[in-house]
Amino acid sequence: MVVYKHTVYPDRRNESFGRVFLYAFFMEAVQQFSGAATPRLPGVAMLSSILLSEDPLSPPWRRYGLAVLGCGAVAAALWPFSDQRDLPNTVMCFLLAVVAVAVWAGRGPAVLASVLSVALFDFLFVPPRFSFEVSHAPHVFTFVVMLTVSLIVGQLTAGLRTQARDAARRERVALGLYGLARELAGAVAVGQVDECVGRFLWAQWRAPCLLVLPAADGVLVPVGGGFAGAMPALDDDPLRQAYAGSEPLTAVSGAGSGPVHYLPLVGATRNRGVLVLALDEGEDLGPLLAALAALVSTAVERLHFVEVAQAAQLEAVSERLRSSILSALSHDVRTPLTALYGLADSLLLGPPPLPAGAQDIARALRDQALRLSGMVGKLLDMARLRTGPVSLRKEWQPVEEVVGASLKLLGSALEGHPVRVTGLAHLPLLEFDAVLIERVFCNLFENAAKYSPPGAPIILAATLGPALVELRVMSGGSGFPPDRLQEVFGLFERGQAETAVFGMGIGLAICRAIVEAHGGSIRAFNLPEGGACVAFSLPLGNPPLIESEALLLEGEGE
Amino acid sequence: MTNAMVLLVEDEREIRRFVRHALEQEGLRVLEAETRREGLLEAGRCQPALVILDLGLPDGDGAKFVEDFRTWSSAPVLVLSARSGEYDKIGVLDAGADDYLTKPFSIGELLARVRALLRRGRGRPDAEAVRVSFGEVEVDFSVRQVTRGGEAVRLTPLEYRLLAVLLANAGKVMTHRQLLREVWGQAGGDNSHYLRIYVGHLRHKLEDDPAQPRHFLTETGVGYRFHL
Repeated sequence: MVVYKHTVYPDRRNESFGRVFLYAFFMEAVQQFSGAATPRLPGVAMLSSILLSEDPLSPPWRRYGLAVLGCGAVAAALWPFSDQRDLPNTVMCFLLAVVAVAVWAGRGPAVLASVLSVALFDFLFVPPRFSFEVSHAPHVFTFVVMLTVSLIVGQLTAGLRTQARDAARRERVALGLYGLARELAGAVAVGQVDECVGRFLWAQWRAPCLLVLPAADGVLVPVGGGFAGAMPALDDDPLRQAYAGSEPLTAVSGAGSGPVHYLPLVGATRNRGVLVLALDEGEDLGPLLAALAALVSTAVERLHFVEVAQAAQLEAVSERLRSSILSALSHDVRTPLTALYGLADSLLLGPPPLPAGAQDIARALRDQALRLSGMVGKLLDMARLRTGPVSLRKEWQPVEEVVGASLKLLGSALEGHPVRVTGLAHLPLLEFDAVLIERVFCNLFENAAKYSPPGAPIILAATLGPALVELRVMSGGSGFPPDRLQEVFGLFERGQAETAVFGMGIGLAICRAIVEAHGGSIRAFNLPEGGACVAFSLPLGNPPLIESEALLLEGEGE
Repeated sequence: MTNAMVLLVEDEREIRRFVRHALEQEGLRVLEAETRREGLLEAGRCQPALVILDLGLPDGDGAKFVEDFRTWSSAPVLVLSARSGEYDKIGVLDAGADDYLTKPFSIGELLARVRALLRRGRGRPDAEAVRVSFGEVEVDFSVRQVTRGGEAVRLTPLEYRLLAVLLANAGKVMTHRQLLREVWGQAGGDNSHYLRIYVGHLRHKLEDDPAQPRHFLTETGVGYRFHL
């Protein structure tokens, strides 16, 4: 995992050299403290960390100034009483000053105040005055003890103060996180998630952030962006890397801007997106940012699953509606057709027998009703296949069986056309919806009979390929118009435009929809020896294992 | 067959009219009912020898009718259904219906089914015969022998059992589930491809043209029917 981590000093040429130097020193110290830069001399590192690490918000010169001022003020206040030679109380007052400096200005200034106090005490109050000379040897011991005590007290006080401030800040962050978790739990859109996180980060650290989520096509797109504010331009490279991995990345995109963190939103099944935030904070925020990323990814994932569930529900409802409309339509159209067909048929039944002319009329009535019923059936099939996802009831079965069933179903429609079937017996089982594939065979056989001269045979041949089975239905006749071999599968297309042959060009469109729903393909061509051929393929798949019968009968004692 | 009572449960008046006409031509007595509830009442009252039941009744589910009817009667039930309702058909056949006709149907088909069912209803002679023959095939149950054109055909035990079940239910539509239960037992469960393979074996051994069978007929999406 590549971690982008470079620090670029801000361009501050218009400021005084001293401040730039101080800032650079401070930045080095910050890095040193957070353990990122190469270690240097341990003493220097420790010193700079003690002197400069704290309270980056108030400038160091002010804090050190406070130390100098404090010690000066104590010295000035005690000066009028210097003649009384009350050295113990003077020491106490200086110690008080060190404690005060430690409380207000921190660790480094406390060290300065300690040294300064001892120096001032010696210079102004201990005889010989206005000199660092020591006339009385035990005073050296006093200075050492005073320096030691003031250093220890100062450091302890400053440490306590730092701890108290850290605790307060941690509490503030934790409370913020609780609030954020509560808000995220109530979010109903990703825009709201972005807003909650943005508000949290802004309130805690004044840090701009951006929530980047994959769109439907997988491209990462920012959401909302109301809190992007001063965010530098997004870098595509770390963004994609963060999205692909599970570790947060830190990158610096250019001069004048701080580091940008890319936090991947790791979900239960896959990454949900990336939270980008520009946070220029010295302390180690790793665990906190990880918690933040986990909260956000949970919220985004929850919204994603809510969306998926809603879509599935909607689809189920519309599927139910579609299917109930179609079956109501089917029932309403078919019922009168059934009556028409049956009534015409019962006219023929008599008694008394109808005169010959009337018999012909009754027979024609019956045949037309049957034809109409076939057309309605095809239109309803097409409506079912075209208006939504085709739901297949796939089962492993031999093709031969469906061929037999469709030939039986067509019955007299194939009269005068002998059907020859080759290559079916040795095919493996295929997985398909028998009812739909039966329609395919019925439509193909029906077409073959319709468009070939009486007496011409219809041939069904199967070829086994490496990954699929191709089934060809061949018939005699003039074949398809060579320039329209593609169009014949379109809806309401007919090979022969204006012929007396009955039909409306829906059969092959149904075949294509069914075959494609099974993952196969269908094509039409003319045979070199004359006649038409429609070939469709079905994928082989992995047929279930067939156990031998001996195994099935085990323990039965036949 | 004459004077047998047929109960016709169908909500469409014109369909009732021609079905009644055809049945009366056949010498049968016909009782009509328009709804499932009325049908059950009539059936209880007059004990029909056959029920013809429409699947699209306004007050519901044909399978429920058959279930209720089967609690006290074994008279055959012929179902009239639309083509698209394969899965409704399975439900009503599993519930105990014997056969179905897809609308629109010709009177010839209707009467053929009615005759076959009434024959079965009167003591099932096919099921009790020791010898059954169809086409060139002869089955002698007493010696467990199957011959075709005079020559013995070797069947595996499962093929033989499947043949026996189909013959015992000749003329009746057997759903995949019913056949699996009868031949393979409860363990048959999900292995409907075994059933299809074994029917294929029987066709290859006993039919003239296995791709265009005349006896082992497929009811696509539903099951099989053995036609004598």
